[in-house]
Amino acid sequence: MNSEKINSLLEKYWNCETSVQEEKELQTFFSGNSVPEEFRQYVPLFSYIKDEQSISLSDGFSERLQNAFGVEGEGKERYITIRIFRPLLRIAVSVLLVVGMGVSFYFISKQDNRPQFVETFEDPNAAMQHAAYALEKLSHALRKSETASVETIQFIDDLDIDWIAIDSLNKDNPVEIDSVESEE
Amino acid sequence: MNIDSFHTVILPLKDKLFRLAYGIVREQAEAEDILQDVLLKLWSKRDEWNYIENLEAYCFRVTKNTALDRLASMAVRKTGVIDPEKENLFFVDNRSPHTEMERKEQRSAIDQSIGMLSENQRLVFTLREIEGMSYREIAEALAISEDLVKISLHRARQKMKEILSVYHKDE
Repeated sequence: MNSEKINSLLEKYWNCETSVQEEKELQTFFSGNSVPEEFRQYVPLFSYIKDEQSISLSDGFSERLQNAFGVEGEGKERYITIRIFRPLLRIAVSVLLVVGMGVSFYFISKQDNRPQFVETFEDPNAAMQHAAYALEKLSHALRKSETASVETIQFIDDLDIDWIAIDSLNKDNPVEIDSVESEE
Repeated sequence: MNIDSFHTVILPLKDKLFRLAYGIVREQAEAEDILQDVLLKLWSKRDEWNYIENLEAYCFRVTKNTALDRLASMAVRKTGVIDPEKENLFFVDNRSPHTEMERKEQRSAIDQSIGMLSENQRLVFTLREIEGMSYREIAEALAISEDLVKISLHRARQKMKEILSVYHKDE
């Protein structure tokens, strides 16, 4: 950079018209070793700025900060992890909800749609025959059970039980002899 | 989101915040203490970050206020004191005793004149010259208008210019 440019930049600098970039250029120029005599007087200012810029945190600071955070809340680590994953947890929960609802709706609707009786016959005559066969089977079974019960009653009658003797065992509530006898 | 802001917005600012605090209290250990306090304070208020318009500027304001409080509680205002060790490191290029002494004098003149600046001027000067922040960023960080930033910086630079030229004439 020539003297003229430096002069105009400095002029702008004193009047606060320089951009951050231009100020950086000035700093670079003044931190060099070959500053012309006419500008020497300004070196201390830019040296000061450069010096201040180089000030930084001591090496142990990060560790110290971590310790400070550790002391501030023991067991906070777990909390932090939960906080990190909280948005994810939210998403997971909502996905689960939606999937669960979808699955249950699917099964419910499937169940509702399934007909209780399915028409399996195409020929009405065949259906009629099958129905007649089924009914006949049912009536046969009913008749069989009826015969069985009649037979049982007959069998008990044939035993010729002494009802009065049995009744005397239960004096509080005697069976009426008349009705028993009349039945016979 | 809060954790993210802490790592993406606040922690990267730690050097700048440290230098801001350092610019106010002029002591390494004290400034580190302040930064630690500030970070803990910010962390404890993490639930409020979402409501803060400009978190970065907010960090600067908290640091500035904490440092100023600390400065007020420190018995002596420590401007113009520099670490002799650092000074030697900086002037390592020019070892001749004469120039070294001359520069030391100049340096202390600068330190003194910075100590003479008003609080706003000094903060603006620090944020602009050392951190290279834009006028708008400085205005937001210090919660003052952009015009006031420009005026403060202008006065600070004029004062520097004056002191440097007076010093130059004296030689």
